Amino acid sequence: MQRLLAIAWLTWKAAVRFRLFLVIAVLLLASVVALPLLIEDDGTARGFTQILLTYTLTVITGLLGLSTLWLACGMLARDIEECQIQLVAVKPVARWQIWLGKWLGIMSLNAALLAISGASVYALLQWRASRLPAEEQTTLRTQVLVARGSLKPENLDRDIDSETDRLLEDRLKQNPGARADLQEVRRQLREQVKAQYQLVPPSTIREWAINLGLTRHFLRDQPLQLRIKFNAADRSPSGTFVGLWQVGVPGKTQFRQFPPMSLAPDTFHEFDIPPNLFDENGVLTISFGNANNTSLLFPLEDGIEVLYREGGFGLNYARGLGIIFCWMALLAAVGLTAASFLSFPVAAFLSLGVLTMAFSSGTLANVVSEGTIMNYNAETGVTGRSVADVVFVPFFRVALDVINLAGGFSPIDKLSSGRSIPWGELGAAFSQIVLLLGGITGLIGIVIFQRRELATAQGTQ
Amino acid sequence: MNPRLKKFLLVALAAVLLAGVSQVQDALNHDRETLGLTRAQPLENAPPVLAFTTVALGGFRGLISNLLWARAADLQEEDKFFEMAQLADWITKLEPHYTQVWIFEAWNMGWNISVKFKDFADRWRWVRRGMELLRDDALRYNPDEILLYRELAWFFQDKMGKNTDDASLYYKRQWAGEMARVFGNKPANLDELANPVSEDQKARARLLRVEFKMDPRFMKEVNERYGPLEWRLPEAHAIYWAAVGLQKAADYPARVNQKDLITLRRVIYQSMLLSFQRGRLETDPFSKSFEFGPNLDIIPKVNEAYERNLDEDDIYTEDIQRAHRYFLMQAVYALYVNNRIPEAGQWFKYLGEKYPNKALLGDPDSLPGRLTLDQFAVASVQEDVNDTSHDRVKSAVEGLLATSYRNLALDQDDRATGLKRLALKIYQNYTNKIPKGREEAMGLGPFEVINKEVLSRLLDPERGFPPQARAVLRTKLGLPAESAPAKAEGTPAQDTLPR
Repeated sequence: MQRLLAIAWLTWKAAVRFRLFLVIAVLLLASVVALPLLIEDDGTARGFTQILLTYTLTVITGLLGLSTLWLACGMLARDIEECQIQLVAVKPVARWQIWLGKWLGIMSLNAALLAISGASVYALLQWRASRLPAEEQTTLRTQVLVARGSLKPENLDRDIDSETDRLLEDRLKQNPGARADLQEVRRQLREQVKAQYQLVPPSTIREWAINLGLTRHFLRDQPLQLRIKFNAADRSPSGTFVGLWQVGVPGKTQFRQFPPMSLAPDTFHEFDIPPNLFDENGVLTISFGNANNTSLLFPLEDGIEVLYREGGFGLNYARGLGIIFCWMALLAAVGLTAASFLSFPVAAFLSLGVLTMAFSSGTLANVVSEGTIMNYNAETGVTGRSVADVVFVPFFRVALDVINLAGGFSPIDKLSSGRSIPWGELGAAFSQIVLLLGGITGLIGIVIFQRRELATAQGTQ
Repeated sequence: MNPRLKKFLLVALAAVLLAGVSQVQDALNHDRETLGLTRAQPLENAPPVLAFTTVALGGFRGLISNLLWARAADLQEEDKFFEMAQLADWITKLEPHYTQVWIFEAWNMGWNISVKFKDFADRWRWVRRGMELLRDDALRYNPDEILLYRELAWFFQDKMGKNTDDASLYYKRQWAGEMARVFGNKPANLDELANPVSEDQKARARLLRVEFKMDPRFMKEVNERYGPLEWRLPEAHAIYWAAVGLQKAADYPARVNQKDLITLRRVIYQSMLLSFQRGRLETDPFSKSFEFGPNLDIIPKVNEAYERNLDEDDIYTEDIQRAHRYFLMQAVYALYVNNRIPEAGQWFKYLGEKYPNKALLGDPDSLPGRLTLDQFAVASVQEDVNDTSHDRVKSAVEGLLATSYRNLALDQDDRATGLKRLALKIYQNYTNKIPKGREEAMGLGPFEVINKEVLSRLLDPERGFPPQARAVLRTKLGLPAESAPAKAEGTPAQDTLPR
């Protein structure tokens, strides 16, 4: 451990000597101070806080990420090229300890920078929030500067699947000789069954029951928020549809009937629910009356959701920073691995290429879903094909799976929308990003570095 | 030479050369434009940072604005609107001369994003943001672009003026509140703003110019040409901005697309029609709210506008004629109901001369030559009411009487008289058509009884008008004051006048 720390300390000294720590710290703090002055918000305190959180954390992640990559590549590759590594290698320090020590050094630098910049953003947000009128502060602290958990209606996949199977069986009995793509038929039947659970026809009422479970004990006297989204097949002249919402069951629980709301489809709406509207078993009943001439569809996945205060913003924010820190750990491992066998410019180029590929996950997903790297012609409805698909599509599929292991977390998004980042999610991020991906990358880097003949490296001086 | 002296001389030379370049910059820009040497015009009126950015980024501006546009589209899909204002700002600033970018971003905020919010205040914020993007930024960098004026006028005409958006009344209230900072809570006095004398007038004129970017003198011209207009309502502003666009088109005829001119004129005509239909602001002192009434004084100008449109537009003649006829019918009815009978008669005669062979109502025989003014007014109401339906006719008569008394309480005496006359005409028309022997079964009862019932309902302390309105009505009708003590304010059965 002493050797690891010694190498890490050398990394710190190098970062300070090159003024890197100072420059990055100044850039980070400057962005925290300058961004609120430069960015334009939507005119609400909530919007301003959201955009401030998003932009500052994105800039911090971007700056730290790039500097981590650059530092990781430079630290090791330059030491090798300038033959300084040989002075360290001849000491009783194992190669893996050198590699890991440098990684620890970079990570401790990141930790310090992330802590400084993260704390500055937090302080800025709290300071700005404290200067708002009381009403706006309440809105901010209940919708943005908070960690909100989410509860949804019971998952109905099992019921939908069994109903689909039953229907499919009936259809096959009625048409025994029919030739059809059974998978496609099943998929279509499933969509029909699903629609029955999602659709609210005109002039009908639909109910949803959300079981709060054990959280009901913590939600006494606490207001909740209802988050809804619906789709409509027809357009209305005003662009909105009228809905009648009621929460609770008259005679059984306290209930609240909301005045008719005119809401736009295809977008999320949130509104407050008074506290204590659930029954003694913790079931919250939500009813919707469709007062329009067209059916409305509430998607099972995110049509109805109840949000509740799970915790404070501070700890949630720290967990968010923790996930960002995990990303830095992976980037440091990637940079050091590249530098283990490449010169500095090439290592930097390769690392940036990997990063670019990670940001292109949308394109990769398109290729995988369409099964080809060629374009889909919207006019003719024909998708092009290429011989290269045989290689690229499987490769992109694997790359996408790997990228999703790291990129499947969105702490900035969650923090800006006041959603909770549970400890489990941080744990999963740590396991997937640091231990799994970072571990594999580091292992590769260490093995390569172990086997590298340092004396054959081209000296630059 | 001494190295320090050499450095000093070089720096001085650089300064002199820069100063010299700055002197010829304007001439260079002029030559660039006249000789067609560049497609990118220099950005005028831009803040230094923006001016620097547009030059420094060069061709990368397009790439960056594409990336920002993709981000904006993604965020909109995810309903994350808090960044949209910033992204719209960057996108438009990166391509400040690309008119469609401004138009799209403003329209997106005003129509697409605003409707996503259920709270009317949030909707207004986005509508206003879109409108300000055009008025304060787009026109600043592109003052001669006709389409921008058209789009700005459209904001006022469609988004704020029409009733398709649930929050349209809220937008109108907010806009009236904005205009009240310039005009106060009364119709605009443009003379005092065009030629301000007192400090208050000068301050308000400055507010109009600096914040609302409007020229009081041009407003006065527009008012004389197309008005009188109610400047606290959106229609007047739609007309103003469209008129500015037409003015710019006249100044730069070579740059104008004729189709753009047609759209500008159409905005004016349609806004004038809206202004006629509900371009008068009437405050209700009892409910502390305001309502819209027809602006009858603008009828001649609206008619002129239609006539002009017919002369200029060869393609949509039939549609314009239909709209013109419909407008004339509305004008006649509105004048009649507001007790301006001589004018109603003149316009009814004009309608008959202009469209003698077009039926006025659903009945093919309802040609202008076969109907009197009274018959037309009554039939206009009864067209929606089956004139053999006892209940619906009674409902129409009662409704007209109630509205008449309501207008009387609001000091709209002429309209009150007109409405009462119409109620009587409908009653008489129905009664005269009852077959003999069926009077008891189908009759409505004496008109005075219906009138008395309606009045007593309105004067009822529990279910009728607010106390002040009841007092005004009693005074105007010469009735004795209420015998029972009036209820304290805030506790009547109804807080507002019944519609």
